Amino acid sequence: MKERIVDARWLEPPEPMELTLAALNVLEPDERLRLLIHRMPHMLFPLLKDWGYDHTTHADDDGSYEILIWYKEQVLPIGGPVSS
Amino acid sequence: MNGQPGISLDQAPPVGVPLRFFITAPLFALAAAMLLLWKGPALFSSRWDPAMLGITHLLTLGFMGLVMLGAIMQMLPVVAGTPVHRPERVAAFIYLLATAGIFLLCGGLIFTVPLALKVALPVLGTALLLFAILVVVTLRRSLPQNMTARAMRLAALMLAATTLLGLTLLSNHAFGWWLRTRETLADLHLTWGLLGWAGLLVAGVAYQIVPMFQLTPAYPARLTRWLAPVLFILLLALAPARHSPALWSVLKILLAAGFAVFALTTLWLQTKRRRKLPDVFMNFWRGSMMSLLAAITLWLAAQIVPAIGDTRSYSMLLGVLMIVGFAMSVINGMLYKIVPFLVWFHLQSRRGANGPTVPNVREIMPESRTRRQMWLHFTALVALLAAIVFPVAFVYPSALLFGASNLWLWLNIVAASRTYSRVNAQLGKTGASAG
Repeated sequence: MKERIVDARWLEPPEPMELTLAALNVLEPDERLRLLIHRMPHMLFPLLKDWGYDHTTHADDDGSYEILIWYKEQVLPIGGPVSS
Repeated sequence: MNGQPGISLDQAPPVGVPLRFFITAPLFALAAAMLLLWKGPALFSSRWDPAMLGITHLLTLGFMGLVMLGAIMQMLPVVAGTPVHRPERVAAFIYLLATAGIFLLCGGLIFTVPLALKVALPVLGTALLLFAILVVVTLRRSLPQNMTARAMRLAALMLAATTLLGLTLLSNHAFGWWLRTRETLADLHLTWGLLGWAGLLVAGVAYQIVPMFQLTPAYPARLTRWLAPVLFILLLALAPARHSPALWSVLKILLAAGFAVFALTTLWLQTKRRRKLPDVFMNFWRGSMMSLLAAITLWLAAQIVPAIGDTRSYSMLLGVLMIVGFAMSVINGMLYKIVPFLVWFHLQSRRGANGPTVPNVREIMPESRTRRQMWLHFTALVALLAAIVFPVAFVYPSALLFGASNLWLWLNIVAASRTYSRVNAQLGKTGASAG
Protein backbone atom coordinates (compact mmCIF):
# COMPACT_ATOMS: atom_id res chain seq x y z
CA MET A 1 0.00 0.00 0.00
CA LYS A 2 1.33 3.45 -0.98
CA GLU A 3 1.87 6.01 1.72
CA ARG A 4 1.81 9.79 1.99
CA ILE A 5 3.55 11.55 4.88
CA VAL A 6 2.50 14.74 6.63
CA ASP A 7 5.19 16.05 8.98
CA ALA A 8 3.32 18.38 11.33
CA ARG A 9 5.82 18.31 14.18
CA TRP A 10 6.11 21.65 16.00
CA LEU A 11 3.54 23.41 13.90
CA GLU A 12 1.07 25.65 15.69
CA PRO A 13 -2.52 24.35 16.03
CA PRO A 14 -4.62 23.97 13.98
CA GLU A 15 -1.99 23.79 11.20
CA PRO A 16 -1.37 20.04 11.73
CA MET A 17 -5.10 19.41 11.39
CA GLU A 18 -5.38 21.69 8.34
CA LEU A 19 -2.49 19.86 6.60
CA THR A 20 -3.93 16.45 7.51
CA LEU A 21 -7.40 17.24 6.18
CA ALA A 22 -5.90 18.74 3.01
CA ALA A 23 -3.85 15.56 2.49
CA LEU A 24 -6.91 13.36 3.08
CA ASN A 25 -8.74 15.30 0.36
CA VAL A 26 -6.26 14.01 -2.24
CA LEU A 27 -5.66 10.57 -0.71
CA GLU A 28 -6.37 7.74 -3.12
CA PRO A 29 -8.44 4.77 -1.87
CA ASP A 30 -5.35 2.49 -1.97
CA GLU A 31 -3.16 4.98 -0.09
CA ARG A 32 -2.48 5.54 3.61
CA LEU A 33 -1.52 8.75 5.37
CA ARG A 34 1.22 8.84 7.99
CA LEU A 35 0.93 11.90 10.25
CA LEU A 36 3.98 12.86 12.33
CA ILE A 37 2.99 15.14 15.20
CA HIS A 38 4.42 16.36 18.52
CA ARG A 39 1.22 15.88 20.58
CA MET A 40 -1.83 13.64 20.46
CA PRO A 41 -4.32 15.27 18.04
CA HIS A 42 -7.50 14.59 20.03
CA MET A 43 -9.65 16.97 17.98
CA LEU A 44 -8.77 15.14 14.74
CA PHE A 45 -10.11 11.73 15.74
CA PRO A 46 -13.86 12.51 15.80
CA LEU A 47 -13.58 14.06 12.32
CA LEU A 48 -11.74 10.97 11.01
CA LYS A 49 -14.42 8.72 12.47
CA ASP A 50 -17.27 10.74 11.02
CA TRP A 51 -15.61 10.93 7.62
CA GLY A 52 -15.14 7.16 7.40
CA TYR A 53 -11.42 6.88 8.17
CA ASP A 54 -9.72 4.47 10.51
CA HIS A 55 -6.44 5.11 12.30
CA THR A 56 -3.79 3.67 14.57
CA THR A 57 -1.50 5.67 16.84
CA HIS A 58 2.06 4.95 17.82
CA ALA A 59 4.06 6.87 20.45
CA ASP A 60 7.71 7.39 19.47
CA ASP A 61 10.56 7.44 21.96
CA ASP A 62 11.14 11.19 21.46
CA GLY A 63 7.61 11.98 22.75
CA SER A 64 6.07 12.52 19.31
CA TYR A 65 3.35 10.43 17.67
CA GLU A 66 2.82 8.65 14.37
CA ILE A 67 -0.80 8.40 13.30
CA LEU A 68 -1.56 6.05 10.41
CA ILE A 69 -4.83 6.91 8.64
CA TRP A 70 -6.68 5.01 5.91
CA TYR A 71 -10.14 5.03 4.37
CA LYS A 72 -12.35 2.28 5.74
CA GLU A 73 -13.61 -0.10 3.13
CA GLN A 74 -17.29 -0.49 2.36
CA VAL A 75 -18.24 2.70 4.13
CA LEU A 76 -21.10 4.70 2.67
CA PRO A 77 -19.99 8.10 1.31
CA ILE A 78 -20.37 10.80 3.91
CA GLY A 79 -21.02 14.29 2.69
CA GLY A 80 -23.98 15.54 4.64
CA PRO A 81 -23.96 17.67 7.74
CA VAL A 82 -22.52 16.05 10.82
CA SER A 83 -22.88 18.76 13.40
CA SER A 84 -23.39 22.47 13.22
CA MET B 1 -6.70 18.22 26.34
CA ASN B 2 -4.10 16.44 28.38
CA GLY B 3 -4.75 12.76 28.72
CA GLN B 4 -8.32 13.07 27.46
CA PRO B 5 -9.88 10.76 24.92
CA GLY B 6 -11.22 12.34 21.71
CA ILE B 7 -14.81 13.46 21.95
CA SER B 8 -17.28 12.91 19.17
CA LEU B 9 -18.52 15.89 17.21
CA ASP B 10 -22.05 15.67 18.55
CA GLN B 11 -20.66 16.34 22.05
CA ALA B 12 -19.39 19.77 21.06
CA PRO B 13 -22.07 22.44 21.36
CA PRO B 14 -23.16 24.24 18.16
CA VAL B 15 -20.96 27.17 17.09
CA GLY B 16 -23.66 29.72 17.91
CA VAL B 17 -23.50 28.78 21.61
CA PRO B 18 -20.11 30.33 22.41
CA LEU B 19 -20.22 32.92 19.61
CA ARG B 20 -23.14 34.81 21.11
CA PHE B 21 -21.16 35.29 24.33
CA PHE B 22 -18.10 36.48 22.37
CA ILE B 23 -20.05 38.91 20.17
CA THR B 24 -21.83 40.50 23.15
CA ALA B 25 -18.79 40.90 25.43
CA PRO B 26 -16.89 43.69 23.55
CA LEU B 27 -20.11 45.74 23.45
CA PHE B 28 -20.07 45.97 27.25
CA ALA B 29 -16.44 47.20 27.12
CA LEU B 30 -17.47 49.70 24.45
CA ALA B 31 -20.28 50.89 26.76
CA ALA B 32 -17.66 51.38 29.51
CA ALA B 33 -15.57 53.55 27.15
CA MET B 34 -18.60 55.66 26.24
CA LEU B 35 -19.42 56.12 29.91
CA LEU B 36 -15.87 57.29 30.49
CA LEU B 37 -16.31 59.84 27.69
CA TRP B 38 -19.61 61.01 29.17
CA LYS B 39 -18.52 61.30 32.79
CA GLY B 40 -15.03 62.67 32.07
CA PRO B 41 -12.32 63.34 34.69
CA ALA B 42 -14.86 63.44 37.58
CA LEU B 43 -15.19 59.67 37.32
CA PHE B 44 -11.73 59.18 38.81
CA SER B 45 -12.57 60.97 42.04
CA SER B 46 -13.27 57.75 43.95
CA ARG B 47 -13.31 54.00 43.33
CA TRP B 48 -16.57 53.88 45.35
CA ASP B 49 -18.38 56.25 42.99
CA PRO B 50 -21.47 54.30 41.71
CA ALA B 51 -20.62 55.14 38.08
CA MET B 52 -17.08 53.80 38.67
CA LEU B 53 -18.59 50.61 40.16
CA GLY B 54 -20.82 50.41 37.06
CA ILE B 55 -17.84 50.76 34.68
CA THR B 56 -15.85 48.19 36.67
CA HIS B 57 -18.68 45.64 36.38
CA LEU B 58 -19.18 46.39 32.67
CA LEU B 59 -15.58 45.19 32.28
CA THR B 60 -15.39 42.37 34.87
CA LEU B 61 -18.83 40.86 34.25
CA GLY B 62 -19.76 42.22 30.84
CA PHE B 63 -16.46 41.65 29.05
CA MET B 64 -14.39 39.22 31.14
CA GLY B 65 -17.32 37.27 32.58
CA LEU B 66 -19.21 36.69 29.34
CA VAL B 67 -16.13 35.52 27.40
CA MET B 68 -15.06 33.23 30.25
CA LEU B 69 -18.58 31.76 30.51
CA GLY B 70 -18.84 31.19 26.75
CA ALA B 71 -15.34 29.73 26.42
CA ILE B 72 -15.73 27.40 29.40
CA MET B 73 -19.09 26.10 28.20
CA GLN B 74 -17.42 25.30 24.89
CA MET B 75 -14.48 23.59 26.61
CA LEU B 76 -16.37 21.69 29.32
CA PRO B 77 -17.14 18.55 27.31
CA VAL B 78 -13.54 18.43 26.05
CA VAL B 79 -11.94 18.96 29.46
CA ALA B 80 -14.38 16.65 31.27
CA GLY B 81 -14.30 14.04 28.49
CA THR B 82 -18.09 13.74 28.62
CA PRO B 83 -20.90 15.79 27.06
CA VAL B 84 -22.82 18.46 28.94
CA HIS B 85 -26.52 17.70 29.18
CA ARG B 86 -28.46 19.85 26.66
CA PRO B 87 -25.59 22.32 26.05
CA GLU B 88 -27.60 24.63 23.82
CA ARG B 89 -30.47 25.19 26.25
CA VAL B 90 -28.23 25.54 29.31
CA ALA B 91 -25.99 28.05 27.50
CA ALA B 92 -28.96 30.01 26.12
CA PHE B 93 -30.49 30.22 29.60
CA ILE B 94 -27.24 31.33 31.26
CA TYR B 95 -26.53 33.80 28.43
CA LEU B 96 -29.96 35.41 28.72
CA LEU B 97 -29.85 35.70 32.51
CA ALA B 98 -26.23 36.88 32.62
CA THR B 99 -26.65 39.52 29.90
CA ALA B 100 -29.90 40.86 31.39
CA GLY B 101 -28.38 40.79 34.90
CA ILE B 102 -25.21 42.67 33.85
CA PHE B 103 -27.31 45.23 31.99
CA LEU B 104 -29.56 45.79 35.04
CA LEU B 105 -26.68 45.88 37.53
CA CYS B 106 -24.54 48.34 35.58
CA GLY B 107 -27.50 50.47 34.50
CA GLY B 108 -28.78 50.53 38.07
CA LEU B 109 -25.39 51.60 39.43
CA ILE B 110 -24.62 54.20 36.76
CA PHE B 111 -28.07 55.85 36.62
CA THR B 112 -28.96 55.18 40.32
CA VAL B 113 -32.05 53.03 39.72
CA PRO B 114 -32.65 50.92 42.88
CA LEU B 115 -35.40 48.89 41.15
CA ALA B 116 -32.95 47.74 38.45
CA LEU B 117 -30.53 46.63 41.18
CA LYS B 118 -33.29 44.73 42.99
CA VAL B 119 -34.19 42.86 39.79
CA ALA B 120 -30.50 42.29 38.95
CA LEU B 121 -29.99 40.54 42.27
CA PRO B 122 -31.86 37.25 41.54
CA VAL B 123 -31.22 37.35 37.77
CA LEU B 124 -27.43 37.71 37.94
CA GLY B 125 -27.17 35.54 41.05
CA THR B 126 -28.98 32.65 39.32
CA ALA B 127 -26.85 32.92 36.16
CA LEU B 128 -23.48 32.98 37.91
CA LEU B 129 -24.24 30.41 40.62
CA LEU B 130 -25.84 28.04 38.10
CA PHE B 131 -22.76 28.34 35.91
CA ALA B 132 -20.37 27.75 38.83
CA ILE B 133 -22.32 24.63 39.88
CA LEU B 134 -22.32 23.36 36.27
CA VAL B 135 -18.52 23.67 36.08
CA VAL B 136 -17.83 22.11 39.49
CA VAL B 137 -20.22 19.17 38.89
CA THR B 138 -19.24 18.49 35.26
CA LEU B 139 -15.49 18.60 35.93
CA ARG B 140 -15.88 16.10 38.78
CA ARG B 141 -15.73 13.51 35.98
CA SER B 142 -12.38 14.73 34.60
CA LEU B 143 -9.22 12.69 35.03
CA PRO B 144 -7.35 13.34 38.32
CA GLN B 145 -4.10 14.20 36.49
CA ASN B 146 -5.82 16.95 34.47
CA MET B 147 -4.45 20.05 36.21
CA THR B 148 -6.41 22.43 33.97
CA ALA B 149 -9.69 20.84 35.08
CA ARG B 150 -8.59 21.09 38.71
CA ALA B 151 -7.69 24.78 38.46
CA MET B 152 -10.94 25.43 36.59
CA ARG B 153 -13.00 23.81 39.37
CA LEU B 154 -11.21 25.86 42.04
CA ALA B 155 -11.78 29.01 39.94
CA ALA B 156 -15.50 28.16 39.68
CA LEU B 157 -15.69 27.77 43.48
CA MET B 158 -14.08 31.19 43.77
CA LEU B 159 -16.65 32.55 41.30
CA ALA B 160 -19.44 31.19 43.53
CA ALA B 161 -17.86 32.82 46.62
CA THR B 162 -17.31 36.12 44.74
CA THR B 163 -20.93 36.04 43.56
CA LEU B 164 -22.30 35.41 47.07
CA LEU B 165 -20.28 38.35 48.41
CA GLY B 166 -21.36 40.48 45.45
CA LEU B 167 -25.02 39.63 46.07
CA THR B 168 -24.64 40.63 49.74
CA LEU B 169 -23.11 43.98 48.74
CA LEU B 170 -25.70 44.50 46.02
CA SER B 171 -28.62 43.84 48.35
CA ASN B 172 -27.08 46.34 50.77
CA HIS B 173 -26.85 48.88 47.94
CA ALA B 174 -30.35 48.20 46.59
CA PHE B 175 -32.28 47.96 49.87
CA GLY B 176 -30.08 50.26 51.96
CA TRP B 177 -29.76 48.00 55.01
CA TRP B 178 -26.95 48.57 57.47
CA LEU B 179 -23.76 46.59 56.73
CA ARG B 180 -20.94 47.27 59.13
CA THR B 181 -18.26 45.33 57.24
CA ARG B 182 -19.06 46.70 53.80
CA GLU B 183 -15.55 47.80 52.87
CA THR B 184 -13.97 44.56 54.12
CA LEU B 185 -16.49 42.48 52.16
CA ALA B 186 -15.95 44.62 49.07
CA ASP B 187 -12.17 44.10 49.34
CA LEU B 188 -12.66 40.35 49.69
CA HIS B 189 -15.16 40.39 46.78
CA LEU B 190 -12.71 42.01 44.37
CA THR B 191 -9.72 39.97 45.59
CA TRP B 192 -11.60 36.68 45.18
CA GLY B 193 -13.02 37.82 41.84
CA LEU B 194 -9.79 39.01 40.27
CA LEU B 195 -7.24 36.64 41.83
CA GLY B 196 -9.49 33.66 42.59
CA TRP B 197 -11.88 33.43 39.67
CA ALA B 198 -9.91 35.22 36.91
CA GLY B 199 -6.38 34.46 38.21
CA LEU B 200 -6.83 30.74 38.85
CA LEU B 201 -8.71 30.32 35.57
CA VAL B 202 -5.98 32.05 33.54
CA ALA B 203 -3.33 29.90 35.26
CA GLY B 204 -5.26 26.67 34.62
CA VAL B 205 -5.87 27.55 30.99
CA ALA B 206 -2.22 28.62 30.55
CA TYR B 207 -0.97 25.13 31.53
CA GLN B 208 -2.55 23.82 28.31
CA ILE B 209 -2.70 26.80 25.99
CA VAL B 210 0.79 28.33 26.32
CA PRO B 211 2.74 25.13 25.45
CA MET B 212 0.17 24.11 22.81
CA PHE B 213 -0.12 27.36 20.84
CA GLN B 214 3.19 29.04 21.60
CA LEU B 215 5.18 25.79 21.20
CA THR B 216 7.00 26.26 24.51
CA PRO B 217 8.16 23.54 26.90
CA ALA B 218 5.48 22.41 29.40
CA TYR B 219 5.04 24.24 32.73
CA PRO B 220 7.02 22.51 35.52
CA ALA B 221 4.90 19.63 36.90
CA ARG B 222 5.37 20.83 40.48
CA LEU B 223 3.94 24.24 39.58
CA THR B 224 0.85 22.87 37.80
CA ARG B 225 0.22 20.45 40.68
CA TRP B 226 0.55 22.89 43.60
CA LEU B 227 0.09 26.48 42.48
CA ALA B 228 -3.71 26.60 42.02
CA PRO B 229 -4.61 24.65 45.23
CA VAL B 230 -2.14 26.70 47.33
CA LEU B 231 -3.43 30.01 45.93
CA PHE B 232 -7.00 28.81 46.53
CA ILE B 233 -6.29 28.02 50.20
CA LEU B 234 -4.47 31.36 50.68
CA LEU B 235 -7.43 33.23 49.15
CA LEU B 236 -9.93 31.38 51.35
CA ALA B 237 -7.81 32.04 54.46
CA LEU B 238 -8.10 35.80 53.82
CA ALA B 239 -11.69 35.70 55.13
CA PRO B 240 -10.98 34.55 58.71
CA ALA B 241 -7.62 36.40 58.73
CA ARG B 242 -9.15 39.85 58.25
CA HIS B 243 -9.15 40.42 62.06
CA SER B 244 -5.39 39.87 62.22
CA PRO B 245 -3.48 42.50 60.20
CA ALA B 246 -0.18 40.58 60.48
CA LEU B 247 -1.66 37.31 59.18
CA TRP B 248 -3.57 39.23 56.49
CA SER B 249 -0.28 40.78 55.27
CA VAL B 250 1.54 37.43 55.27
CA LEU B 251 -1.25 35.80 53.24
CA LYS B 252 -1.23 38.64 50.70
CA ILE B 253 2.56 38.51 50.34
CA LEU B 254 2.36 34.76 49.68
CA LEU B 255 -0.42 35.34 47.14
CA ALA B 256 1.63 38.02 45.37
CA ALA B 257 4.63 35.67 45.33
CA GLY B 258 2.51 32.83 43.88
CA PHE B 259 1.15 34.96 41.05
CA ALA B 260 4.61 36.41 40.40
CA VAL B 261 6.00 32.86 40.04
CA PHE B 262 3.22 32.08 37.53
CA ALA B 263 3.83 35.26 35.48
CA LEU B 264 7.63 34.87 35.48
CA THR B 265 7.39 31.17 34.55
CA THR B 266 5.11 32.04 31.62
CA LEU B 267 7.48 34.77 30.39
CA TRP B 268 10.45 32.41 30.82
CA LEU B 269 8.68 29.62 28.88
CA GLN B 270 7.93 32.11 26.09
CA THR B 271 11.66 32.77 25.67
CA LYS B 272 12.09 29.00 25.08
CA ARG B 273 9.48 28.73 22.34
CA ARG B 274 10.42 26.78 19.22
CA ARG B 275 9.33 29.37 16.66
CA LYS B 276 10.57 32.88 17.33
CA LEU B 277 8.25 34.57 14.84
CA PRO B 278 6.27 37.59 16.07
CA ASP B 279 2.85 36.43 17.12
CA VAL B 280 -0.23 38.43 18.18
CA PHE B 281 -1.45 35.72 20.54
CA MET B 282 1.89 35.45 22.31
CA ASN B 283 2.18 39.23 22.64
CA PHE B 284 -1.26 39.45 24.25
CA TRP B 285 -0.11 36.85 26.82
CA ARG B 286 3.18 38.66 27.32
CA GLY B 287 1.42 42.00 27.89
CA SER B 288 -0.95 40.30 30.30
CA MET B 289 1.86 38.75 32.37
CA MET B 290 3.81 42.04 32.42
CA SER B 291 0.68 43.86 33.65
CA LEU B 292 0.28 41.26 36.38
CA LEU B 293 3.91 41.78 37.42
CA ALA B 294 3.45 45.58 37.33
CA ALA B 295 0.36 45.26 39.58
CA ILE B 296 2.30 43.06 42.02
CA THR B 297 5.22 45.53 42.04
CA LEU B 298 2.90 48.47 42.70
CA TRP B 299 1.15 46.56 45.50
CA LEU B 300 4.50 45.61 47.03
CA ALA B 301 5.69 49.25 46.83
CA ALA B 302 2.57 50.33 48.74
CA GLN B 303 3.32 47.76 51.47
CA ILE B 304 6.84 49.13 51.88
CA VAL B 305 5.90 52.83 51.51
CA PRO B 306 2.35 53.21 52.91
CA ALA B 307 2.12 56.74 51.47
CA ILE B 308 1.82 55.19 47.99
CA GLY B 309 -1.22 53.19 49.09
CA ASP B 310 -2.84 56.31 50.51
CA THR B 311 -2.83 58.18 47.19
CA ARG B 312 -6.12 58.62 45.30
CA SER B 313 -4.82 56.88 42.20
CA TYR B 314 -3.27 53.77 43.84
CA SER B 315 -6.27 51.42 43.94
CA MET B 316 -7.49 52.55 40.51
CA LEU B 317 -4.04 51.93 38.97
CA LEU B 318 -4.11 48.44 40.47
CA GLY B 319 -7.62 47.94 39.08
CA VAL B 320 -6.68 49.01 35.52
CA LEU B 321 -3.49 46.90 35.57
CA MET B 322 -5.41 43.83 36.75
CA ILE B 323 -8.62 44.24 34.72
CA VAL B 324 -7.53 45.88 31.46
CA GLY B 325 -3.84 44.84 31.56
CA PHE B 326 -3.88 41.31 32.96
CA ALA B 327 -7.36 39.91 32.29
CA MET B 328 -8.60 41.76 29.20
CA SER B 329 -5.28 41.32 27.33
CA VAL B 330 -5.24 37.56 27.77
CA ILE B 331 -8.95 37.27 26.94
CA ASN B 332 -8.57 39.43 23.83
CA GLY B 333 -5.70 37.19 22.67
CA MET B 334 -7.65 34.03 23.47
CA LEU B 335 -10.61 35.25 21.41
CA TYR B 336 -8.31 35.45 18.38
CA LYS B 337 -7.49 31.74 18.77
CA ILE B 338 -10.89 30.44 19.87
CA VAL B 339 -13.18 32.24 17.39
CA PRO B 340 -11.38 31.35 14.11
CA PHE B 341 -10.78 27.79 15.30
CA LEU B 342 -14.45 27.26 16.19
CA VAL B 343 -15.59 28.68 12.86
CA TRP B 344 -13.07 26.59 10.92
CA PHE B 345 -13.74 23.38 12.90
CA HIS B 346 -17.51 23.61 12.56
CA LEU B 347 -17.23 24.36 8.84
CA GLN B 348 -14.93 21.34 8.43
CA SER B 349 -17.43 19.07 10.14
CA ARG B 350 -20.29 20.56 8.08
CA ARG B 351 -18.52 20.03 4.75
CA GLY B 352 -17.97 16.30 5.28
CA ALA B 353 -15.22 14.13 3.81
CA ASN B 354 -15.66 15.04 0.15
CA GLY B 355 -17.08 18.53 0.41
CA PRO B 356 -15.57 21.77 -0.97
CA THR B 357 -12.63 23.39 0.80
CA VAL B 358 -13.37 25.94 3.53
CA PRO B 359 -11.34 29.03 4.55
CA ASN B 360 -8.43 28.36 6.92
CA VAL B 361 -8.01 30.08 10.30
CA ARG B 362 -5.74 32.80 8.90
CA GLU B 363 -8.35 33.69 6.30
CA ILE B 364 -11.12 33.67 8.92
CA MET B 365 -9.14 35.98 11.27
CA PRO B 366 -6.33 37.74 9.29
CA GLU B 367 -3.32 38.70 11.40
CA SER B 368 -3.13 42.14 9.78
CA ARG B 369 -6.41 43.03 11.56
CA THR B 370 -5.61 41.41 14.89
CA ARG B 371 -2.11 42.92 15.15
CA ARG B 372 -3.34 46.49 14.75
CA GLN B 373 -6.14 45.95 17.24
CA MET B 374 -3.58 44.55 19.70
CA TRP B 375 -1.46 47.71 19.51
CA LEU B 376 -4.59 49.81 19.97
CA HIS B 377 -5.45 47.77 23.08
CA PHE B 378 -2.01 48.25 24.65
CA THR B 379 -1.96 51.96 23.74
CA ALA B 380 -5.39 52.30 25.40
CA LEU B 381 -4.03 50.52 28.50
CA VAL B 382 -1.14 53.01 28.83
CA ALA B 383 -3.51 55.93 28.19
CA LEU B 384 -5.93 54.67 30.87
CA LEU B 385 -3.09 54.44 33.40
CA ALA B 386 -2.06 57.99 32.49
CA ALA B 387 -5.69 59.15 32.81
CA ILE B 388 -5.82 57.98 36.43
CA VAL B 389 -2.77 60.05 37.34
CA PHE B 390 -3.58 63.02 35.05
CA PRO B 391 -7.37 62.81 34.50
CA VAL B 392 -7.85 66.18 32.79
CA ALA B 393 -5.22 65.58 30.10
CA PHE B 394 -5.78 61.89 29.36
CA VAL B 395 -9.34 60.86 30.18
CA TYR B 396 -10.84 61.66 26.77
CA PRO B 397 -8.00 60.25 24.60
CA SER B 398 -7.93 57.11 26.76
CA ALA B 399 -11.71 56.64 26.46
CA LEU B 400 -11.54 57.07 22.68
CA LEU B 401 -8.63 54.62 22.35
CA PHE B 402 -10.27 52.06 24.64
CA GLY B 403 -13.58 52.39 22.79
CA ALA B 404 -11.91 52.08 19.38
CA SER B 405 -9.98 48.98 20.50
CA ASN B 406 -13.12 47.19 21.66
CA LEU B 407 -15.12 48.28 18.63
CA TRP B 408 -12.38 46.82 16.42
CA LEU B 409 -12.32 43.60 18.44
CA TRP B 410 -16.10 43.36 18.03
CA LEU B 411 -15.85 43.94 14.26
CA ASN B 412 -13.19 41.21 13.97
CA ILE B 413 -15.41 38.70 15.79
CA VAL B 414 -18.47 39.71 13.77
CA ALA B 415 -16.48 39.32 10.52
CA ALA B 416 -15.48 35.76 11.53
CA SER B 417 -19.04 34.81 12.41
CA ARG B 418 -20.26 36.26 9.09
CA THR B 419 -17.69 34.09 7.31
CA TYR B 420 -19.22 31.11 9.09
CA SER B 421 -22.76 32.07 8.00
CA ARG B 422 -21.67 32.71 4.40
CA VAL B 423 -19.66 29.49 3.92
CA ASN B 424 -22.23 27.46 5.86
CA ALA B 425 -24.95 28.67 3.49
CA GLN B 426 -22.74 27.76 0.49
CA LEU B 427 -22.16 24.29 1.97
CA GLY B 428 -25.91 23.90 2.41
CA LYS B 429 -26.46 24.76 -1.25
CA THR B 430 -23.68 22.37 -2.39
CA GLY B 431 -25.14 19.59 -0.22
CA ALA B 432 -28.65 20.23 -1.58
CA SER B 433 -27.51 20.23 -5.23
CA ALA B 434 -25.34 17.12 -4.64
CA GLY B 435 -28.30 15.39 -2.99
